Amino acid sequence: MEKRAVFSHKLLPYALLAPQLLVTIVFFYWPAAQAVYQSFLIQDAFGISTEFVWFENYQMLFSEPAYYGALLTTALFSTAVTVLSLSLALILAVEADKNLTGAGLYKTLLIWPYAVAPAVAGVLWLFMFQPSLGMIGRSLHAFGFNWNPYLNSGDAFTLITAAAVWKQISYNFLFFLAGLQSIPKSLIEAAAIDGAGSTRRFWTIVFPLLSPTAFYLLTVNIVYVFFDTFGIIHAVTRGGPAGATTTLVYKVFSDGQAGGDLGGSAAQSVILMLIVIALTAVQFRFIERKVTY
Amino acid sequence: MAGVLLNSVGKTYAGNIRAVSDISFAVPDGGFCVLVGPSGCGKSTLLRMIAGLETITDGEISIGGRVVNQVEPMHRDIAMVFQNYALYPHMSVYDNMAYGLRNRKTPEPEIATRVAEAARILELEPFLKRRPKQLSGGQRQRVAMGRAIVRKPQVFLFDEPLSNLDAKLRGQMRVEIKTLQRQLGVTSVYVTHDQLEAMTLADMLVVMNRGRIEQIGEPLYLYENPATIFVAGFIGAPPMNMIPLAPATGVPAGILGAETLPVPPTGAILGIRPEHLHLDRGETALGDRLRLELKIDAVEAVGAETYFYGHLGSTGPRLVVREAGRGSASPHGIRAFTADRTQIHLFDKVSGNRIEL
Repeated sequence: MEKRAVFSHKLLPYALLAPQLLVTIVFFYWPAAQAVYQSFLIQDAFGISTEFVWFENYQMLFSEPAYYGALLTTALFSTAVTVLSLSLALILAVEADKNLTGAGLYKTLLIWPYAVAPAVAGVLWLFMFQPSLGMIGRSLHAFGFNWNPYLNSGDAFTLITAAAVWKQISYNFLFFLAGLQSIPKSLIEAAAIDGAGSTRRFWTIVFPLLSPTAFYLLTVNIVYVFFDTFGIIHAVTRGGPAGATTTLVYKVFSDGQAGGDLGGSAAQSVILMLIVIALTAVQFRFIERKVTY
Repeated sequence: MAGVLLNSVGKTYAGNIRAVSDISFAVPDGGFCVLVGPSGCGKSTLLRMIAGLETITDGEISIGGRVVNQVEPMHRDIAMVFQNYALYPHMSVYDNMAYGLRNRKTPEPEIATRVAEAARILELEPFLKRRPKQLSGGQRQRVAMGRAIVRKPQVFLFDEPLSNLDAKLRGQMRVEIKTLQRQLGVTSVYVTHDQLEAMTLADMLVVMNRGRIEQIGEPLYLYENPATIFVAGFIGAPPMNMIPLAPATGVPAGILGAETLPVPPTGAILGIRPEHLHLDRGETALGDRLRLELKIDAVEAVGAETYFYGHLGSTGPRLVVREAGRGSASPHGIRAFTADRTQIHLFDKVSGNRIEL
């Protein structure tokens, strides 16, 4: 059943919606429109003259090999971070849901990383893994690993992935734990009496009932990897070495802010926006169907 | 098929909290045993111990002659119907019923036959493709029953299965459960706090209070011969009238003929069921009867019977009288009632135990 409030005054509903609409328009639609407009312009290096060029910025972008590199990096990075942070969080949540001694402390500690700002998280991980100063970096060298995220692109990618996963696990953990706790205990007991062992119970009862949570988290995680990991990358690798950790959002920043190519940067952000819109639409259209609410 | 045997079973939770103590009874093969008692009496804990969902800290439970203390629920060959039905919300009615069989690697054609059979018995055939969410309370209840019967277990366990239904449906399902159990002949243990459900379903009634058994027996035997004040007050509606008798102060005002009752020095409780009090038609000889005078404060005529409510001897305990047919009494008037001596009960006030008359 649907509940509807009925307003007698015609303007009242709009007045009530206004604050939310205003925020959305000022902070979302306006900048987005600006980006679209900007992507059709080319400015000279000093910002004196501006020319309207239609799709020239886009043409240049797609003829640039570095852009395809950033696309590939983003694809790998987002897959790695989403898969790892979701699966690790699920394992931790399942364990925390059991009757452990000290479960409360365990849960609290798991939630803390979420309160750490991305850039700070990046710096912390850099401190630990810095090849000549970091504790873990030095240990790796002591054990004979030639670890150097400044020079080795694989190492750099691993480091930012680890930091991004670590930061996102808390959030996923919280939602998975809440999801697990909302499953009635009698369902699990009924399944146990019905002859399902604990593994089978998990895959046939618990996991399907968690699927709405998992679906929501998948969407949120992809958006997180696309945008919010900027702070980590900027603090740890600055997109290097040799562009190995330059994701799409980092390239928007480095081309626009550092490279001064505002039009090209705007074109990139428009494409990025379209990719995220498309991904979210695909998720809702195809994955949501298999989700049982 | 198998009986269930409990031998001085007890449960102590961490922190030395006793949930149930010293429970022993045997449910014969094919019997219908109802555990009844107020909430918190340990009846559900006991049922969950039989199911294997709670560990047994004292004594032994056997199902079909096999001690199951250390046996996992899935290997006890039981099926349980939960209070909230515990249907799997993401599965169709068919899959809900088939789940237990699939876990046991039953071949699909066999599953289809058994589910079809259960659906026919429970009249669920039109709903097999639906999800539990799309069913009414009564239909969900049937699916929960269906999930239990397709497995053909040795024992059915019911944990207050009707308490989420409305009164009318509850009455209907009660009859259906009883019929089904007779038809299938599966040993059943049923937990409820509703004494009417307990009386109508049970072959064997186990009345529990504070983690202990008060009395075991056939429902009508318990009704007629309650062993304790608790059983006397719990079984029967409206409840038995209780009149305290103290030897020192003598018989309370308003009762005639109670002087010869064997009241112990510590006092006793006289119990008379509402239907065993009858309007005094003015017989002169009291004979084998007690005579009670009530100051009436309410009369309820419900057609087939009439209820009189009043205080014994105008200031004594409040009593209820159920008189067949239609009687009349004006409120605030005094009416006399008689009770046959063979139908009254006497309990020790301190121990609560029955005193045979």
